[in-house]
Amino acid sequence: MTWSHVSRYLIRAEWAPLAGITLFSIVALSLIAPAFLTEYNLFVMLRILSVTSIFALAQMVVIAVGQMNLAVGAIGGLVAILFGGMMEVYGVPVPLAMLIGAAVGILTGWLNGAIIAYSGINGFVVTLAMLSVYTGLNYGITESIPFYNMPQVLLDTYDGKIGPVPNILVIPLVAAALVGLFLFRTRAGRYILATGGNPSAAALSGISIRRSVILAHTVSGALAGFAGMVAVARLGTAEPTIGVDWLLPSFAAPVIGGAILSGGRVSVIGTMVAVVLIVLLENGLLLARTDPYYVQFFLGVLILAAVMFNRWRAVSAEKVTAARETAS
Amino acid sequence: MTASALLVEKATKIFPGVKALANVDLELSSGEIHALLGENGAGKSTLIKIVTGVYRPDEGSVSVMGGSVDFSSPRDAFAAGIGVVHQERNLIPRYSVAENIMIEQLPTKWRLIDRGEMNRQAKHWLGALDLNIDPDVPVNRLSVAQMQLVEIARALSQQSRILLLDEPTASITENEIKVLFDLLRRLKGDGVAILFVSHKLEEVFELCDRVTILRDGRNACAGVPIEDLDKQRVVAHMVGREDALGDIGERHASLGKVMLELKGVSTAAGHQDIDLKVHKGEVVGLYGLVGAGRSELAKAVIGAERVTGGEVFVSGERATVRNVQDALRRWRIGYVSEDRKQEGLILLHSVAKNTAITVWHRLGKLLNLFSDRQERDAIISFVQKLDVRTPSLEQDVANLSGGNQQKVSVAKWLAAEAEILIVDEPTVGIDIRTKGYLHRLVWDLAEQGAAIVLITSDLAEMVLLADRVVVMRDFRIIGNLPNTYNYEQMSRRIMGCIHEADVVVGQADGAPALKGA
Repeated sequence: MTWSHVSRYLIRAEWAPLAGITLFSIVALSLIAPAFLTEYNLFVMLRILSVTSIFALAQMVVIAVGQMNLAVGAIGGLVAILFGGMMEVYGVPVPLAMLIGAAVGILTGWLNGAIIAYSGINGFVVTLAMLSVYTGLNYGITESIPFYNMPQVLLDTYDGKIGPVPNILVIPLVAAALVGLFLFRTRAGRYILATGGNPSAAALSGISIRRSVILAHTVSGALAGFAGMVAVARLGTAEPTIGVDWLLPSFAAPVIGGAILSGGRVSVIGTMVAVVLIVLLENGLLLARTDPYYVQFFLGVLILAAVMFNRWRAVSAEKVTAARETAS
Repeated sequence: MTASALLVEKATKIFPGVKALANVDLELSSGEIHALLGENGAGKSTLIKIVTGVYRPDEGSVSVMGGSVDFSSPRDAFAAGIGVVHQERNLIPRYSVAENIMIEQLPTKWRLIDRGEMNRQAKHWLGALDLNIDPDVPVNRLSVAQMQLVEIARALSQQSRILLLDEPTASITENEIKVLFDLLRRLKGDGVAILFVSHKLEEVFELCDRVTILRDGRNACAGVPIEDLDKQRVVAHMVGREDALGDIGERHASLGKVMLELKGVSTAAGHQDIDLKVHKGEVVGLYGLVGAGRSELAKAVIGAERVTGGEVFVSGERATVRNVQDALRRWRIGYVSEDRKQEGLILLHSVAKNTAITVWHRLGKLLNLFSDRQERDAIISFVQKLDVRTPSLEQDVANLSGGNQQKVSVAKWLAAEAEILIVDEPTVGIDIRTKGYLHRLVWDLAEQGAAIVLITSDLAEMVLLADRVVVMRDFRIIGNLPNTYNYEQMSRRIMGCIHEADVVVGQADGAPALKGA
């Protein structure tokens, strides 16, 4: 791999324009707002990013198989309060609580997938129902009262460093790398992408659609649960409402990052860059002293703009290939 | 012949960086059947899209019945009396047959759709094609061939003065082709101008009056009477060479042990008493009319359809094929689907991924992780062996031509080391050069020791390739004929076989003997 290889790869990559816009935003923000590049502000953004990126990945894995998981936030919330509750009420040590939390995430995700795969009911409807089921369990257990006393070791670990690198940066990077390896470098991941790309062709090539769907939802549940636990570490409390606002950004990031909603094509790097862009947008609006209630409005505009741009690129690429095909 | 029904003069269409059509002429008279020929990519589709208002020409003019027209949408073309059957399916899957046929002109009563009248009219047009299907059935329950016929019925129902048919016979069988041709001749007698696009030259010579041929976006000839041409000359116009048709070398068949044997098999799809033997090195053809159950039998063999009775043997061993994965990994049976876009390929994935999909389960050791390089190494020899023309292995298959897509859907089964290969309609919509290549490939594979079941509705192809032709009807096997490689003789025998069964089946049911035909 020479430098020209690398640069050509970077220019051709689907997420290249997105990365360009993100870089431009960073430069622009640091010029306009002196507060932007302060260590404090960067840490604020990284802390948000450490949670947002993981539930975006959770959604992305289900988009890859051609479905949606409306319950990412609900699973995150349920795992968060169980995690917090175990530690505060029963004094369960952090590692054990994390293991149990992970198990709950996996179980809830698996349940979503199994219901979809065995009943044949549309994933949208099933996860919509499960969103309500998990949220209801959450509120039933907590009666909407947060757990306030999180163990200091959890908070310290979250704010700690591995070597010179802060953990709030390590967490999203490792998660993204693992999801990337899983989707593109393992059989099971490839089966998920193939199923999303064309279920009939995948089935006639010897792939079990059912297994792919269940696995995608299971991984999604595990990631959503993990995001819930990271959120607890970030906030220092386990609030029942963790996850309530996750749904929109969880779709926004993969879609802005170039995912096709019908499945088969997602980009881990694209999704991660899109998360950065979303966090920058929120941060920029904050620095510009925009009314925080308008953040959603601008996020919506960003999603539309990104999707229109992707659409425009796809159509012009199609025109070129159509012309090439006619010529050949 | 009077004034031109349709006249295209000096049509030019430029796409970014490429001239798809350059000064192309086409003249269609009322009361004629006019063939439009050319290899894939010669510009036929572009020309048809101009005539039907999908594209606007950059230069040149189109006139209908002597008056100049400028279509800006397909609706304009429809209003000008141009009916079209596109090569791609254009049906709405969940709508009924009748709704699909009548969609442009739904009969209404008090502004509400009159279903009874709609079904009655649809039945009339289905009847014109000798097609006996319930107009109330949703089209997604039909076979590919039946869907194609429904599209033809829709074009007929519009009673257009100009009718364009793009590969209307691509996936229908001999018998339906005959009914269609009789109908087209009748329409021609009524003064309809018909443009007929086909890759099957036999059909063109049987049916058409004049021929226009495109090559590389230009006229190789325009409006030449069919009497002035023969097959060799047509092919010469199409490919620019004289020697590209038919000759695929010699077959060196040497049969080995029985690889696949079905004994009295019945299936959930409705097959009864199926007995079939395929030897190592053999090409067994499976022929039948629409709805004879050929593709369904293929799917039962690969475990995608349930076998309910009888016995299946693979290499002499009793085999229970539980699912497609089992067929592929344990019994080494592969199935090249008749519908490469819907069932064969993942269009938005690369050549490498589409080919390697059957071998991923062998790649990777630690934690099942594998690299792009391992994937490439596993499949590159097959992609090269089949001469897939692609700029790189990373190219999305959506961007390849139909012929190269078909090569990819064969390559993945070679990579999977399938020993029994069921090839379903391998050359539908593929140009002559690639067709010849795929034909030779079927023989090569057999000669290298594969057992091949070939399903095709193109009787000429069947007679060219098969060692033995097994004839199916109504989900049963009704004949087993050694191939004499003589088209006239074989087509008579096969059709005879089907008609004889018609009488027998008819009597058994106590129903009137011959229907259709």
